[in-house]
Amino acid sequence: MDAQYYLQQLVNGICLGGMYALMSVGYSLVYSIMNFSNFAHGGVIMVGAYVGFFALTALHVPFLVAFLLCGLGSGLLAIIIERLVYSPLRKRHAPSLYFIISAMGASIFLENFVIATIDGTPRNYPTIFSNSINIGGLSLGVDSLLMIIVSAVSLLILMFIIQKTKIGLAIRACSYNEKAGTLMGINSSLVIFVVFLMGGILAGFAGMLYGMRFIVKPTIGQVTNKSFVAAVFGGLGSLPGAIVGSLLLGIMEIFVASINSNLRDLFVYALLILVLVIKPSGLMGKVVEDKA
Amino acid sequence: MRKSVKKIIAVILACLMLVALFACGDKKTGGDTIKLGWMGSLTGDQAAYGTCESQTLKMLVEEKNAAGGILGRQIELICYDTKGDAQEAVNVAKRLCAQDKVCAILGPNASGQCIAIQSVLDQYKVSDMSTVATNEKVTVQDGKLKEYNFRVCFLDPQQGKIAGTFVYDNLKFDKAAILYDVNDDYALGLKDNFVKVFTAKGGTIVDEEGYTAGDTDFTAQLTKIKEAGPQIIFTPIFYQDFIMIHKQARTLGIDLPMLGGDGCASEVLFDAADAVDGSYVINHVSLVDPAGDGFRAQYAERWNGAKMELNGYMAHDAFVLWCAAVEKAGSDDPQAIADAYCQVEVDGMAGHIKISSEDHNPVGKSGCVERIDGKNKTYIFETYIAAD
Repeated sequence: MDAQYYLQQLVNGICLGGMYALMSVGYSLVYSIMNFSNFAHGGVIMVGAYVGFFALTALHVPFLVAFLLCGLGSGLLAIIIERLVYSPLRKRHAPSLYFIISAMGASIFLENFVIATIDGTPRNYPTIFSNSINIGGLSLGVDSLLMIIVSAVSLLILMFIIQKTKIGLAIRACSYNEKAGTLMGINSSLVIFVVFLMGGILAGFAGMLYGMRFIVKPTIGQVTNKSFVAAVFGGLGSLPGAIVGSLLLGIMEIFVASINSNLRDLFVYALLILVLVIKPSGLMGKVVEDKA
Repeated sequence: MRKSVKKIIAVILACLMLVALFACGDKKTGGDTIKLGWMGSLTGDQAAYGTCESQTLKMLVEEKNAAGGILGRQIELICYDTKGDAQEAVNVAKRLCAQDKVCAILGPNASGQCIAIQSVLDQYKVSDMSTVATNEKVTVQDGKLKEYNFRVCFLDPQQGKIAGTFVYDNLKFDKAAILYDVNDDYALGLKDNFVKVFTAKGGTIVDEEGYTAGDTDFTAQLTKIKEAGPQIIFTPIFYQDFIMIHKQARTLGIDLPMLGGDGCASEVLFDAADAVDGSYVINHVSLVDPAGDGFRAQYAERWNGAKMELNGYMAHDAFVLWCAAVEKAGSDDPQAIADAYCQVEVDGMAGHIKISSEDHNPVGKSGCVERIDGKNKTYIFETYIAAD
């Protein structure tokens, strides 16, 4: 067990964390504006993975095109879910519990919709990047590297949009106080539209990267539970929090698993409970009373 | 007034349709057929296995029926999906026994499900001939023989023994690592027996890593295994995890071969042909044996070029054995068929089959080890190793 070994495990953790980050940002974005956990996000990621799979195997498009199609498909789906499921609730000013229940419903619906229309059989992506690179004895798969790069680039773009553009300013304003923002002339429907679109696009990317590295099946959505834990750990509603939380969770999970792999889920969910009990706002989340 | 007239007509029409429907049903089930039940995973992680079993049986039943059926009667095959779930298997077994009143059941394709349906079989006194359930407890539990559970395949202890023998005697490796699902009876059974045989011969287990079902990231365990420096990784798991573990191992720069049990052997492996190249799987029968060419071609022709899985061979053997038992019993009485299973002997795709009356397991089976050739997307036969 030399330094090399721990470095390799660290790299493994960053790869896992990078994927969690792409997924958890979607949770945090929606939470920051609408104050509820969008559990349908997992379903959107799963559909993204299927879009990528069929784009590659049935349409035989190049990787980049398939990748963009994933983002497009998932982005559209996220908007459709918002319009069909959340928009009516929003108009009625329903409490956030209703949103959460509808989100869970949408998630289960998506899972079963895929089982009914395609089937429940797991599928494997065709091999796209099989080789790995060796940097000073550390092995890093091209797909893992791609995952880190895509995560970093898309998150940077997202941060740029939120910090530097007009719509980003509107999103930030709404995340502080949606009503006041609306009074200042911000079109909150547009803000919500953009938030779901961005979250959806990232979900599509995450879905395809997940599928390439692991597997495509209707229950992928459940995997995103861990990215939700990462978002809570980092502080729901905070983008930097989601990213930091995801990376830390990925690294910790890998090290726990390298000691005893049976403890990894126990650790992750114990962490969730601990965070909620001790510091519900997470590492850098905004402080609100009802966290759900 | 007019509306109510319409309503009455509608109701009458609906009743007529219902009557017609029942009439159809009567005609279909009233015939003098012999009913054979099959259950297995048509959806879920092991869908490839179950689908192949049911398709093989459909093909064989069609063939048998075209040739005049059995005892002069046509065979009616009833297939249900267990979704790979033990609870669902129990429901399906009840439906086959109580509602469809089948004379015998073939399948399901996993030990956990076979063990779960025992109480239903005992209650209705209907026999089950399992295709690939290799766990010891399928036929005998706590030293007690299960009266209605049978199988045509070898057992986990035998499979673990084949694995240990192959790694030490054939590959001449003495350092192995193990990566397995800690909550799976199948994986545990294989692992324990592999360790027993391999260490008894003089080999060392340099690392033993576990995971739980549903895990998709194995990089932590694989990095640890790499550090331990084995010559081969024994993976007594199912093919989907086998593929994921290979993919991740290769990206971590681990080029070691792996050895999987019969749960790994699948055509699906070639989806990740580059990654699994050079690894080994244990199987009940060689998938490239020329003796099976005709059978494979027949299957491909019937099912749009589909490739035959191992389960097809085992379903074939179970079916042939069932046919022999029905003929021996001279009737489709479930009890008579169960009794006849131990009295008949047949030649199947996976060798000669004779079921022992002591433990309801086949006698004198052997297992074959095959190497995966990723480049040509095929298996290369390595050797046969006696299971007993």
